[in-house]
This record gives sequence, structure tokens and C-alpha cells, in this order.
Amino acid sequence: MTGALSRDAIQASGEQPIDPITFSVLLNRFNAIAREMTLTLEYTAWTSILALVRDFSCAIFDGQARQVCMADAIPIHTNSLHVVLREMTRVFEGDINDGDVIVCNDPYSGNTHVGDVVTACPVFFEGRHMFWSVTKGHQLDIGSFIPTSTPATARDIYQEGLTIPPVKFYDRGKARHDVIRLYLANLRYNDQLYGDLMAQLGSIWNGQRRLQEMTAEYGADEISRYVDAIHDYADRRMREEIRAMPKGEFIGETWMDSDGQGNEDIYIRAAVTIGEEHITVDYTGSAPQTPGAANASIGVMQAASGVPILCCIDPTIPHNDGCLRHITGIAPVGSVCNAKYPGSTAIATTVPGDPMQDAVWKALAVALPERAVAGFGRVQCVPVLSGTDQRGDVAKDWGVMLFNGASGGGAAPHADGWPLMMTLSASGGLKSLGVEMSELLYPMLVERMEIEPDSMGHGKHRGGAGINMALRSISGPMECHLFGDGASNPPHGVLGGTPGIGGGNYRESQTTGVRAYCSAKGHMTISADETWVSVSTGGGGNGDPLERPADAVCRDLRDGVISAGTARDVYGLAWDPETFAVDEAATRSQRERIKATRGVLRLLTPERPSASPWLKEHMRPGDVFLLDPH
Amino acid sequence: MGHVLGVDIGGTFTDFSLVDEQGRITLWKEASTPKDPAQGIKTGLANLAKARGLSLAAFLDGLDLFVHGSTIATNTVIQRNGPVIGLICTEGFRDVIFLRNGFKPERFNWNLKPPEDFVPRYLRLGVKERLDYRGNVVTPLDADSVRTAAKALKAENVKAVAVALLWSIVNPEHERLVKRLVEQELPGVPVVLSSDVLPAIREWERTCATLLSAYLLPGIAAYLQELERFLKENGLRRPLLIIQLNGGCASVEAVLQKPIYALASGPAAGPAAALHCAKRENLADVIAVDMGGTSFDVCMVTGGQASMTKEMRVEDMPVGVAAVDVHSIGAGGGSIAWVDKGGALHVGPQSAGADPGPACYAQGGTQPTVTDANVVLGYINPDYFLGGRRKIDPVLSRAAIERAVAKPLGISVEEAAQGIFRLVNNNMISAIRAVSVERGIDPRNYAMVVGGGAGAIHAAKMAADLGMKKAIIPRYAGVFCSYGMVVSDVKHDHVKTMACNSERLDVARINALYAELEARARAELEEEGFAPVQIELRRYADAKYPSQVHELTVPVPSKAAIDAADMAQVLEAFHALHERMFTYCVRQSSVDFFHWGVSGIGRAAEVPAEEMPLQTRSVTSALKAERPVLLENGFAPTLCYDGSRLVHGMTVDGPAIIEQENTTVVLFKDQKLAVNRFGDFIVRL
Repeated sequence: MTGALSRDAIQASGEQPIDPITFSVLLNRFNAIAREMTLTLEYTAWTSILALVRDFSCAIFDGQARQVCMADAIPIHTNSLHVVLREMTRVFEGDINDGDVIVCNDPYSGNTHVGDVVTACPVFFEGRHMFWSVTKGHQLDIGSFIPTSTPATARDIYQEGLTIPPVKFYDRGKARHDVIRLYLANLRYNDQLYGDLMAQLGSIWNGQRRLQEMTAEYGADEISRYVDAIHDYADRRMREEIRAMPKGEFIGETWMDSDGQGNEDIYIRAAVTIGEEHITVDYTGSAPQTPGAANASIGVMQAASGVPILCCIDPTIPHNDGCLRHITGIAPVGSVCNAKYPGSTAIATTVPGDPMQDAVWKALAVALPERAVAGFGRVQCVPVLSGTDQRGDVAKDWGVMLFNGASGGGAAPHADGWPLMMTLSASGGLKSLGVEMSELLYPMLVERMEIEPDSMGHGKHRGGAGINMALRSISGPMECHLFGDGASNPPHGVLGGTPGIGGGNYRESQTTGVRAYCSAKGHMTISADETWVSVSTGGGGNGDPLERPADAVCRDLRDGVISAGTARDVYGLAWDPETFAVDEAATRSQRERIKATRGVLRLLTPERPSASPWLKEHMRPGDVFLLDPH
Repeated sequence: MGHVLGVDIGGTFTDFSLVDEQGRITLWKEASTPKDPAQGIKTGLANLAKARGLSLAAFLDGLDLFVHGSTIATNTVIQRNGPVIGLICTEGFRDVIFLRNGFKPERFNWNLKPPEDFVPRYLRLGVKERLDYRGNVVTPLDADSVRTAAKALKAENVKAVAVALLWSIVNPEHERLVKRLVEQELPGVPVVLSSDVLPAIREWERTCATLLSAYLLPGIAAYLQELERFLKENGLRRPLLIIQLNGGCASVEAVLQKPIYALASGPAAGPAAALHCAKRENLADVIAVDMGGTSFDVCMVTGGQASMTKEMRVEDMPVGVAAVDVHSIGAGGGSIAWVDKGGALHVGPQSAGADPGPACYAQGGTQPTVTDANVVLGYINPDYFLGGRRKIDPVLSRAAIERAVAKPLGISVEEAAQGIFRLVNNNMISAIRAVSVERGIDPRNYAMVVGGGAGAIHAAKMAADLGMKKAIIPRYAGVFCSYGMVVSDVKHDHVKTMACNSERLDVARINALYAELEARARAELEEEGFAPVQIELRRYADAKYPSQVHELTVPVPSKAAIDAADMAQVLEAFHALHERMFTYCVRQSSVDFFHWGVSGIGRAAEVPAEEMPLQTRSVTSALKAERPVLLENGFAPTLCYDGSRLVHGMTVDGPAIIEQENTTVVLFKDQKLAVNRFGDFIVRL
């Protein structure tokens, strides 16, 4: 697709005319380059977290570190890359040279969390610094005190692993092998992570190559002029979008299950102020910084403020600097939404990244109800599993972040939710591994991976289904590190839609059947005679369930996605149990009956913390519950 | 060699390309008959026979080759008009096709609806069984659970059953047992096994390939068997061959073993046609492009072989098997130009189609299309569109562009038309870059071969913008695919899985494995009547660095016994390919292999081509007129030639327009066109 500036806008924007067609051609070209960078990384990375799961993002910035173009990747990355890149350029100001590669993962330098490693190379053309080619990739390991790059139980940044402030890995085209050795020496699985580093470098070098070719084709001055025009274009369109929105301050509130240290229901509040041409998201009033890992970095805070808003604007507006400059996030230092050094932000991208976005979405539900999307399951039932693989001749350590059982997405005004969406921070940009690939690469046996019936919120559009998954190790005990949220605080329903179930996870003894339930964060050892089971929540519902077409309800019923009780009591469906034919007349009267007795529909459900009844309903005598076990 | 015939069923027309002993090509178009596709073929055959003064029997008897391609299978999937089918899978895993790979396109658009499951959940049934990654039995197959599932599917009156069990690729025993049990319960209902259709790791892709096969089977079996019977009864001596998505042909019997290969069966023949005429210019590296009314297809052909992909999708479902990598975007003559509310100009992907068509067709279409821009710019002669058979009205083109593009952008109609031309070219160039530059291939070393009615208007300019040196516009550009069919080889792929690492290679096992695959491939081709000299077996393996999850396919030398040195060569080929594609490689690392394959190729007999005598007549004898055309800056009088009067030996210097019945060639300044001895246009850029 292509976009061109109208001549009116061009006259307004500058001295020399911008040719609308060249503008379109170049806009396309930037998108193609960012896409090629993405493909390079995906196809060459060595660990599944990058290669299969795609937990990375690629973007192009101009010489002034303004984002020009990002690939459609992980929103929490792409909407915060500018924060870290600015710090990287500030640190090396006056010493940025052709052939440099600068690396940074420091959340106090504007990065999201320590697990995300940013690689950036300046792109020079005829001695002129034209662009930055940038990737951010979530590493499988970063040398934390426990084998995960998202240690939910970390108490400060020192426990999270190796912190890298802006550091050159390549200097004027020469690899700094000593620095690279220092990096790798701090990581588990470092032979594989060397491959991942190379994949990230391959990606930025590919971007560099293409950007140089493009500059050679058009000339540096011409390219710079059009980059400005691309920013102006997004800026102008974003201003128009905001002008058309209702003005005022809108409040959204939510709760985080726990902070990884046993403190529950951490309060998060977002005040979204829609002004004439600017939107401010203020998290003042949220809980103070927690002693655990679930605190936001400034990068996460900025991105969490923007992502829900970007879902509410015309999707053809490029999400570059011209657009992003219209959204500002604010949070007091020392709060859960903006940690103070050396507080831990180890799992910031998802917790509190997801609850913070939920709060913004709830505020937007008040401001723009016709665009409201229901709650997502957050990163739930996504374990980082690890152990020793003794299947081959040589025992070797293994580790994986497994997304296969992830929670469902919230329902939109015009569509049901998707399964496996889990975190708004990724918004569907992560791929799951599949059963055979999981079992080939890691010593595990997946016993079950199916839809959990009735797990989603109901509504005119229902949430994406949650998943019931069971797996065990086939090579001794395995460690299970959880870093999620949204079990006791389930994804919310909007405009009369109901919430998801919340769900949970447990390990079960294969001999006694006794279960140890675990909160969404914590560390468990799963021994060889135990099975780990996760039941993830579906997403929240959107709109009145009684307005859902009866045949859609009946299809879900026949497919076993919802139970007969739900079909009857929540959706008011009447049907022939033999043929699954809808009884239209009986459905109508059933729906009338429900309508007459149910009271007023709420804009948002639930409105209180710890609203999920799932744990209470599922624990049996003899089972135990572990809150944030270490 | 007697006559050879290619038949391509499209949405509107069924195209016939008949080549006789002298290489003379007869083209015939018959209206397609979607309700009974064979009817259009029968009518066309009768008409072709009649035109040659032959009875149908004599005509069919004279054919040495009958190759057929169609969009029937693809349309069955897209329109979802296949039968009710069931899926049997491992218990606990019946949502593999629902869960997909967890990925959602369009990150910021939540109103995008989740894809609809191809088989509803109530027809996806688990059976008690489980194998591990080595194929060892974890849970033995419970026959009763299979019978229960089969009975349930019988009650739903399914017309085919797909079976896709976990790890059946390493040990197909459970799947085979399920097949026997299901056949007992549902006699006459075909059962398709994943271990037969796509013996490769990744259950989502394999399940989809199996489901699609089962879904297609009843329909195409009835159609192809009936067509083959009709042809045989009426005198065809040779087996009916079907063009497959891997770019090769196969017998009806072979296609029905793996029905998924019948998908995308028309476009896959394009690269063969491109290669056929490139070879006559001693070229083996070409970019095959085909621009029609609604879409633009591009495929890379390197060293005489079309690029292949395992990433092909149909209706959001992975196809899984290696297919000719035809990249398609919504850019064609009918693509609509529009300005969005933010003032941005777009071209496509929506198309005005054939009805109402471009504004200039005067059939009620008011939206400006690429064709309208080409009319305004003077590239298309309003009096000679489709050889003058379709009247077009340039006034309507101007009005549509004025209203929808020029006014909103504040530019002139001519500037707007040039913008549309440039943007659609740019979209197509991006598509070409996506399959070349982005895969480590430099298009400047390739020649462009141009097919499709709209292709030649845009091709020379695009090729020049890409830095290419040569474009070839074949005589039969308008019926690229049906001609491609008659020059396609027969091709079957055979794959096995065996995990091993380069540091612990068991060369004896590899040799045994290739021996088995090659024996299978050879036997299949011999059974189809190929002599040993016509048979070529190509080996390949999928390789990756350990713990990497995406594989690259590398060729493996063909020898009775490969040794360690040969495998070292394979490794080096892998490192080099990795570096070319992704800027880096890790030579000190070992390499993992998993899938091993053999492509069995039965060479098509050489199809003769009619040669033109060299003419010394001046090119002015082909001159039609001089008319104003906008090529660079403003309209300038430009020479227009009659393509049918351009003969071997003539050259045309750009700027110029060459008008033909089915296509128009636009030559820009400094471009030079020559006619070769086969009547193809060779454009030097």
C-alpha cells in the first residue's frame, strides 16, 4: 500500500515542493526495509523465543533518533524504542561512527527491561549520519540469579542479570571481542545466545545495507527532505484524529494480582486527558513501587500509554515520531508505574505493562465506548521452563519460554477475541511453538492442549478462548518460573460483556493426585513424577450477550466452546439437543425473561480487585495454594 | 512428436494452447462452465477438432501430451463448497487448527475477525494414542476409541476423513491402523493420512495439508476421473497429466494420492513458460512476471529452477508442501486508484474486475483504474484495445481520474495518471524485491520475462528501474500459463525425516535413505512411462544451525554413495546460503539435518517451436501511426507499430508503442526492442 501527500499539505510544509508520488514510493520503501529486517531476525535467530515466538522488533530511526518506520512487531517495544535510542545517542554524542554497533539493555537508560537487548547501528552515507537501524530482542537468558530473563521474584536490578548501559560491541567496523566475551560469559546457553546476537546484528546490517542503497538512489538531501515529510504527514493526521475525539479527563482503574513478593491487588490508575491535539496519560495515584520485579520502567510506561490509543486511530497513520509525539505518559518516580533505581523492572513489559494498558483501555471505554476493546488475559500460564536434557549423548541445559497455553484476547466492537493473544504488550505479535517442535527441542511431553470451555467472557462478541494444557518433563525435574498476571484479576468485560474466568495453574502428583496451585508469579520445581497443568483465562466479552446472534451461540455450544448452561442462562439460547437447531421463538422469550430480571448492564465488569472465583471453585481438600513462591 | 495440448481453466475462460509438429501455436478460448468444468473442455475440444477438420477421436488420437491445470481446487477451498469432512487426531489435541501459531496480523486492529476453523470442532475427534518424538509408543492406540470416533463421523455423514496424529512422521503405524479401522466403519469413504501427504514436522502445517487434501479429494476425484475416462473413450492414447503447485505435472492417480498438490495449479505453470523462452536466449536466470486484470504474480527462476516455498497459504491455512514460490499482489489493469481521507493516494488492492471494469469500459464503472491511467497517458490505443474488439472511452478515464485523484491531490489529470502508473509500478517492484533482494538475490543479473495482458505496458519501465538489462515479451504473453503447461516436466516430491547432526553423520544411513527415496521416485516415473534418459532425480536436505528453528533447503550431490567430502560440500553450501540470505554464517558451528528429499523429474519431450525466417524488410513496414504519448515530460508524438507485422530481424528504438491484439508494449527512451527468430520481443534496457 502507498500513501502520498496532497499538494495542499506540501505547500504548507516546506520551501521545496514534495512530490506526492515520490513520497509514497519512499514510505513503501521504508516499510519494506523494516519488514526485511524482521524476516532476517526471525529466520536466523537460534533460540525459539526470537525465531518462533518473534519476541523482537525492528525499526528505522533518522539521524536525529526520530522513529521513521517500525515493522508491525511487538508494540511495547516499538512504542518505546525512541526512549532508549535517545539515551544511547546522548551517551555517545560526538563519538558515533560508521561501523559502530551500540548495545543497551538498561531500563534506567530508557530500555523496557533487562531481558530486552537493543542493538543499533548508525547508517552513514558519504560521511553523513542518515539513519539508525535498530532491533530489540527479548533474550532467553540475561544472567539472572534464576534461569529466566523475566525473574518475577527479583528484588532489585542487580538480581535481574547483566545490566548493559549503552556500550559499543563494534567500533568503526571492528568487533570488540573482549566486550562480546564479557557479555556472553554472563549468560546461560551462551552458544545459542551468540547466534541470537548475530541474528540481531544481521538484521541491523541488512537494514543498513538497504538504507544506504536507497540513499544512493535518491541522494542524501532528497531523502532527508522526504523523511521530514513523512514525520509531518503522521503528525498532521494524528492531530486531526485527536481533534475529532471527545475532550476531557477519563479515569481507568485496575489491579495487578501480586508483585512477586506476596503482596496482592496492587492498584493502578490511569487518567487519560484528551486535549486539542495531545493526549496525556497520567498514572499518578497508582500504588507505590513494589519490592518485587513488577514495576514499570520509563520505556514501558511511555509505551503502555500509547498502545491502546494507537488501536483507536486510523490504522493507516504511520506509527512514527510524528504520531507518537502526540502521546505523553506521566508517572511519579518511585511508583509501580515508574520505578526508582535500583528497583527491579524485570517483568515490566507485561506486569505492570499489561495492567497499565488495561487501565488506559478502561478510561478509553468511557471516552470512546464505540471503540472499546475488552480485557486481555495478560501473560498468564506462560512458564519459563528449564532443566537438564539427558536425551542425547551429552547432557545439556535447556530452557524455554512456552506460550502454547497462553490466555485469550479481549473481544472488540466488531469481532470475537482471538485465542493465545495474552498480552496487550505483544498484541498478537508472538508465535507459539507447537507441540512437536517443543518436544523435539526440549525434553518434555505435552499431554493435552485444548480449549477450556466457558473460559472466556461472554457478550455480543465473546473473548478468545483460554487453553487447558498439561505437560511433564521426560528428563528429570524441571524448573518452572512464572511471571504473569490476570488470574485473580480476570480480563474485564465492556458494555455489558462479562469477564474471563481468570484461571490458574498447578502441579499435580501423578501418584497421589494432590495439586499445588500457584499464583501467576513464582517459582516451582516440577519433579519427574509430577505434571504441570495450566488453565488460562479467555479474554473479556464485549457488548450484551443477548445481542449475540443465536446461530453463533449455537455453533459455540455444539463445538463445546461454551456449556449448555452458559448457552441457556447467559445467552438465552433455546435449541434442539439432537439436531442443534435454534428454536427462534423460545430463544426470543428466554432472552426477554433474562432482560427483565438482570438489572442494569455495567460499562466495565468487574469493578473490584480479586474478582475471580476460579481458584475457590477448583481447589479440592488436600490441595494447597502457593502465593508467589520463591 | 505429435500435437501437444495445454488446457487451463480460469474463472471466466478456459484457455487451450495447441502446439503442432511444426511448433505452430493455436490458441483457443472457450467460456468456462463452473458448474460442470469438464463441459467447457469438451466443447473446446470439439471446436478445436472441428477447426482442424478432424473428428474428436482423430484429434485426441493425434495428441502426444495433454496437460491440464485449473483453479478448481483453489476455488473449492476459497468458496468452501467442498463436502463435510472429519478429522481424527491425538486425544487432547483437537484444537491444533484452531490455535494455529498464535499469531495475529495487523497489530493494532482488534476488529479483524479470527479465521474460521476449516473443520468445525465437533467434527474433530481425538483417539487414545501417543508417540514420542522418536516414534516410540507412549500410549498404545486404543482401537475402540477409533471405532467410536469413526461411528460419530459416520453419523454426521462425512465424505472424507483426515487423520493427523502427533509424530506420525517418525512412525506412521498408528495412522495406518486408524485408516484400516475407519475404512471398516465407513466403507467407501476416503481416508487421508498426514504421514502420506506431508511427512514433515510441525503438526499445524501437516494437519492443514491433510485436511485440505481430504476436503479436495471427493470433488477432484470425481471430476478428474470422469474427464480422464471421457478422453480415453474418445481416443486419447496418453495419460491425462495435471499441473501441480510444485510446478511439475503428475498423473491423475498420483494427484489423488496427495490432492493438496492440485491447489494453485494454473499459476504454477508460469515460470515454466518463462524459462522456456528464456532458454532460447541462452538465459537460465529470469524473473517471471504476469500482470493481468486483478493481480500481479512474480516468481524467481534461478539456474533454470523456479524458487520454491513451504510458506504458501490458502485461506489463512498453511499448505506446508513445497510449492512454486509465486508471489502475488493485488496489482493489475483493473486495480483501483483512490485517495483516503488523510489525502494519501493508494493503488489497489481492490480491483474493478471485468464488470464493471475500468471507467473507460463504459459499463458503469466510475472508479479510476490502472487501465484508465494508461489510456490517459496514451499507452493504450482506445481504438485498438483487445484488437479493437472492446470499445473504450478515454473521456470516461479522464473524468474518473479527475474526480477521484487529481482534484483531491490538487494536481493535473496527467500528473495523476503518471502518479498512478508510477505507484502501481512501485508496488510491483516491491513485490519483485520481496522475492529477490530480500532473499539475497540481485535482480540486476536476471532477465524479466513478461506475461499477462497488462504486463508489457509496465514491464520495460519496471525492469529498467530495478537495474535489469533485459526483458523478454513472448509471442504468447497473453496465454502464459496454458502454454507453460505443455512445456512443464512431470515432478514428484518424496520426503523422509531423519534427525542428525553434522558432527555425527552416519553417511551409510544417509545413502540408504536416499537410495530408498530415489527407488520410489524412479519407480513412480517409470510407471508413468518415462524412459531412464528422461528421468532426473534431484536430492536436497533441510538444514539449520542446532537450536535454530527455521531451515534452509540445500542441494545434495547425486551419487550412488556420497562420502564425508560430499557432505562437507553440502555444509559449505548451507553456510554460504545462510550468509547470502542473512548477512552472516557461523562456520565453526555444527549443522542439524531433519528432512531429506528427492524430487523425481520426468523430462517433458522437447516441444518444437516455429521459427521465422530472417527478414530484411525495414521496420517502417510495421509502422501504424504517430500519436501523442506521455512518457517523460509532457505529451510528445510517438511512433506506434503493429506488433503482428514485426518479424525476426526487425528492431524498434524507444520511445515507441507496439500494439498487439492482446497486449501493448511501452518502450521508453534508450530502450531497444528486437524480434528474435521465434517472434519473441527482446528489450534491451
